[in-house]
Amino acid sequence: MEAPPPPQPAASAEQPAPAAASSQPPEPTQTPSPSPSPSPAPDPAQPPPVSAPPPPSAAPSAAQNPPQLQPQSLPPSQSQPPPPQQQSQPQQPIQQPRPPLVRNRPPAPFPHFSHHLPSSAPPSSSTSASASASASSAAPAPSPSAASQRGGLAIGVPAHSSHLPRAQQPVATYSSIGASPAFNQPFTPLPRMTEQSSAANAQVRQPIQGIQNIGMIGSLSTTTQIRPGGVTGPPQQRLVQPTSRAASPSTNQTLGSQKFPNSGLIRGPSMVSSGSISSVPQQSLVSSQGKQMPASSSSFRPQAKPNVLQQRPHSLQQTQQPPSAASHQQQIPTSQQQQQQKQQQFQMQLQQQQQQPQFHQQHSSPRQTQEYYNQQNLQLRNQQQLLQQQPARPLGPATTKPNPPTLVQTNVAQPAVTHPVVGTDAAESGDHILGKRSLRELVSQIDPSEKLDSEVEDVLVEIAEDFVESVATFACSLAKHRKSTTLEAKDILLHVERNWNMMLPGYGGDEIKCYKKQFTNDIHKERLAVIKKSMAATGDAANPKNASGGPAAASSKSHAQKAPPIGSPKA
Amino acid sequence: MHNSASAGPPAKPRVGSSQVSEASLKRKRGVFQKDLQHMMYGFGDDPNPLPETVSLVEDIVVEYITDMVHKAQNIASKRGRLLTEDFLYLVRKDPPKLHRCTELLSMHEELKLARKAFDVNEETLATAD
Repeated sequence: MEAPPPPQPAASAEQPAPAAASSQPPEPTQTPSPSPSPSPAPDPAQPPPVSAPPPPSAAPSAAQNPPQLQPQSLPPSQSQPPPPQQQSQPQQPIQQPRPPLVRNRPPAPFPHFSHHLPSSAPPSSSTSASASASASSAAPAPSPSAASQRGGLAIGVPAHSSHLPRAQQPVATYSSIGASPAFNQPFTPLPRMTEQSSAANAQVRQPIQGIQNIGMIGSLSTTTQIRPGGVTGPPQQRLVQPTSRAASPSTNQTLGSQKFPNSGLIRGPSMVSSGSISSVPQQSLVSSQGKQMPASSSSFRPQAKPNVLQQRPHSLQQTQQPPSAASHQQQIPTSQQQQQQKQQQFQMQLQQQQQQPQFHQQHSSPRQTQEYYNQQNLQLRNQQQLLQQQPARPLGPATTKPNPPTLVQTNVAQPAVTHPVVGTDAAESGDHILGKRSLRELVSQIDPSEKLDSEVEDVLVEIAEDFVESVATFACSLAKHRKSTTLEAKDILLHVERNWNMMLPGYGGDEIKCYKKQFTNDIHKERLAVIKKSMAATGDAANPKNASGGPAAASSKSHAQKAPPIGSPKA
Repeated sequence: MHNSASAGPPAKPRVGSSQVSEASLKRKRGVFQKDLQHMMYGFGDDPNPLPETVSLVEDIVVEYITDMVHKAQNIASKRGRLLTEDFLYLVRKDPPKLHRCTELLSMHEELKLARKAFDVNEETLATAD
């Protein structure tokens, strides 16, 4: 894999997209020798991401090449001798040359590039040109071995990285993408990633908070940062879902193998960028990103291709919608914009596409609400990292997944989308846990005439997602405390019962709660006995005087008797 | 009526559940299945409800009784023994339940008296004969 990527990046770096393809052949001779040697040594993280996107980014990366060239050209490649060749790499999926270039580009004009460049810069360029999913997936396969050192970019990263150069808004996504590569790999420390990503994150702070936080997670150690972005995380996760869907399923699997809850979040932001490309119209990300990267979408893997075709009209629609939409949307920060756009897109899709499959699956969702937790718990162990985004993937078809609404939506939204993509997207569709339709059904169960505002629905969906996430996380820690590798119903039950004061009958198993006798000290018992005696002795005849004297005498007696009782326990 | 012995129905499940839980930590499934089916039918369910429904209702019932007994024991531990009054105290805030409990207990006493009177009558008749 390294041979093809190096030639490509070198070729692309020199010439823009159209020229990249042509330039590739001449350069392969030049770059292969230098690139292969430095490639193994340089960031392993970069090669993997580069490998994934390279093929796809080749063709459509035309638009992306110029922006990518600029940042790359600025910082000279330190490790690799052919800087000019490397600079052109971003466009092409050259794994080896990219890593060095990426690192050297912190001062790039595009801050977002710097942070993700190290990890995903080459891949980003390549992702944009993602010619074929297979090629990209194949590329990352060999690269992961090389990139394993660095934890590099996941396959998913390239997908969105391609549009990163173009999109100016999703700066946050860039940061996330940069971070995501690190996460995709197993817990391998990414010193470079952290440095660059942190730098990039600092610059990219402004964009969506959630994405930033996720991006901050360049290193596994910083996973804690994800938590603050939890609230914003869900919206972004939704965005990510479509992108994650676009990401090759293999990446999902790799992520799934990792038992890192934050990694799931990380993939989210990275996926977000790819999400725009992916055909998940539901997510606003697509809308925001789709606008900016119509061309990049085509460059995504084959999976994304059909999505791209669909996305373009959606993106166009979305582009039209935001301006036409309420002016308040523009005022709202990008994250909110994306959410709204996503919602709009989702609604449009629902209207456009048949709702029959939706009804079928959504009807089952209320019934599954009870079983939902159990299913999720049992499956969450493997899906911890993926959280809500990826649980559907390993599960496979939507019917078995705990998120039938989301599955339904993704299926309905993109009938033309390739089935594997749809399957993966099902879980990652905008509505993780609760779809708007199922939410309305629940409301109708309470009050048939009740109607909720769209903002209220959004908040409720977000609350549901946060609830599930928090419960699942705590239950997993309980399972771990139990020294078990399996998340069981009793973990969820214990947490929900003690912290949320919710009794869930029907899942208790065969164990009866033992009665915990109230522990009373011996001294306390003795004091009580003395008091009783004194009260009985004084009785009715004694009055306040005796009663008061009784307890006093009893207390003095109890004090005297304290020594022996104290001594006995010690003995 | 205040004796634990006369507590009868309220005390029986308590003793049984606590002993079972301490002994085996296992709960038999379907303890109330037959009775619950009739009760559910009486409250409006199908004459033959689903087994899952019956088992769910049984889980609810057992959980409720277990929780009540634990709370009653907490209260009664200060006094010593567990009495019927502890259970009545726990449902004091629920008028229908409280009324039903007192009604059942009073009926129980009346039946006991009636049985006693009947036996006495039998004896007198027997002796008379």
